[in-house]
Amino acid sequence: MQGKVIAISTAGIGTPTEAPVVRGKIVRSKWARNLLTFLMVFGPGLIVMEADNDAGAVSTYVQAGAQYGTKLLWLLLLLLPTCYFIQEMVVRLGIATGKGHAAMIYQRFGKWWGLFSLFDLEAVNFLTLVTEFAAIALAVSHMGISPYLGVPVAAVGLTLMVLTGSYLRWERITVFLCLLDLAWLVIAFRLRPGLGGLVHDTLVPGVPVGGITSSLMFLVIAIVGTTIAPWQLFFQQSCIADKRLRFADLTWARLDTFLGAVFTIVVAACMMIAGNAALVHGINFADPAQMANDLRPFVGEVIRLGILLLMINAAVLGTTAISLSSAWAYGEVRGWPHSLQMPVKKAKGFYATYIACVAAAAAIVLIPRAPLQLIILGVQVLAGIILPSAIIFLQLLLNDKELLGEKYVNQQWNNWVNWTIIVVLFALSLILAAQVVAPNLFPSV
Amino acid sequence: MNFMPATMDLNMAKVPENHYVVVHPLDDVEEQKVDTSTLGPMPMTTSVKVSLIALRGYLVLMVLLVFYHVMDLAGVFGKH
Repeated sequence: MQGKVIAISTAGIGTPTEAPVVRGKIVRSKWARNLLTFLMVFGPGLIVMEADNDAGAVSTYVQAGAQYGTKLLWLLLLLLPTCYFIQEMVVRLGIATGKGHAAMIYQRFGKWWGLFSLFDLEAVNFLTLVTEFAAIALAVSHMGISPYLGVPVAAVGLTLMVLTGSYLRWERITVFLCLLDLAWLVIAFRLRPGLGGLVHDTLVPGVPVGGITSSLMFLVIAIVGTTIAPWQLFFQQSCIADKRLRFADLTWARLDTFLGAVFTIVVAACMMIAGNAALVHGINFADPAQMANDLRPFVGEVIRLGILLLMINAAVLGTTAISLSSAWAYGEVRGWPHSLQMPVKKAKGFYATYIACVAAAAAIVLIPRAPLQLIILGVQVLAGIILPSAIIFLQLLLNDKELLGEKYVNQQWNNWVNWTIIVVLFALSLILAAQVVAPNLFPSV
Repeated sequence: MNFMPATMDLNMAKVPENHYVVVHPLDDVEEQKVDTSTLGPMPMTTSVKVSLIALRGYLVLMVLLVFYHVMDLAGVFGKH
């Protein structure tokens, strides 16, 4: 924590007369203290947001661009405050309790609900992991590398990332991978359409040419499902607990989350702009890797390789975060030691869960040739359906005064915002249900 | 040139006046969080309980619908 000389406010540190010894850094100005504290707290917010721009997200955003150009950019702008408000609640819950989300559901809603939520999470997470490795397989094969080499190498790399027994080492690697996504900005800049159109499509909500069709609704629900995913709630709370963020870090953790939300939405918009290039050049969209290949005559080899490498990066980021959310949640519910700070021998169950998730998903991808695009869309719609109920549990926990006290529970405006989000999410999932029951509800083209 | 001050073991009594000490959360002494050990299940009214059970049914139904929709799109039912 920060403090001015001996006025340190660190919990557990003794009185000044005890002259405690702490491991820290000395700075001279308040400004430097704030900056340094922010940099130390920074991480979980960026990672949870940017890891959500995983392989499925790349595919969904690029497909949105390839089908509707930049006409759905306004939707991303709407999703920015939405994902921030939801994750901010997670930050408060994580800092106040120092425990993961699964543990909280288990404790406050009982074993039955705990297991139900855990099953939902693990099932959607695992299916999502399969899509991550399917994307890696697809991207490496377009780069001339056999998936039978590329996928196992990625799986081994993902395993080694967490086995160092240091949370900080994992966080630094992951933040670096997140920042690699800045390359999407370069690609979007190279492929950009007119600035006026971009600004218009971002600020003025509109329906693309063709009106409200079945595929548009499916894609909108998939975009919502991929931008705000259930695993994020579990991941960030566990991550905050593992990093041992303190009450005094709350402001900085909120800033981290907000910057992460802005970063991820900007990157998502860049993916949509990249997809727009396919529409402009009359390319039929099959998947992002195929699109990158088809775009080569128009945009060059560097952009093609860039998109393929960023697909792999997105899948790696998604895999490490989603597998960790599964491992943390399972460890919390089983009562196992579950921390990246622990060596493997002290948290065998936790690391075994992570490795099992990664290995099983990688193995499945190498056996059959599943239709990637369909699986990705299906998983994201599924995540979109499960999300409202996950947020309801979050909402109930954040109104639990017995648990959080007056200081950290939701204010009335928080509740209004969150119930609005929940109602909209439910409405979208009901539209999906109606669409499935009555396929002709919306025009098909 | 190193812009970042080094991390070191600091005796708080010897930190110069008008300086600030910044400690990484992982290097800090673990702080006392909200005590959840004495809390049991959240007290819920009957209407909340019924709503949650309805939510569970809704979730099961929706998952089945998505599964059907994906199978349909994959051409399992022979429409595509």
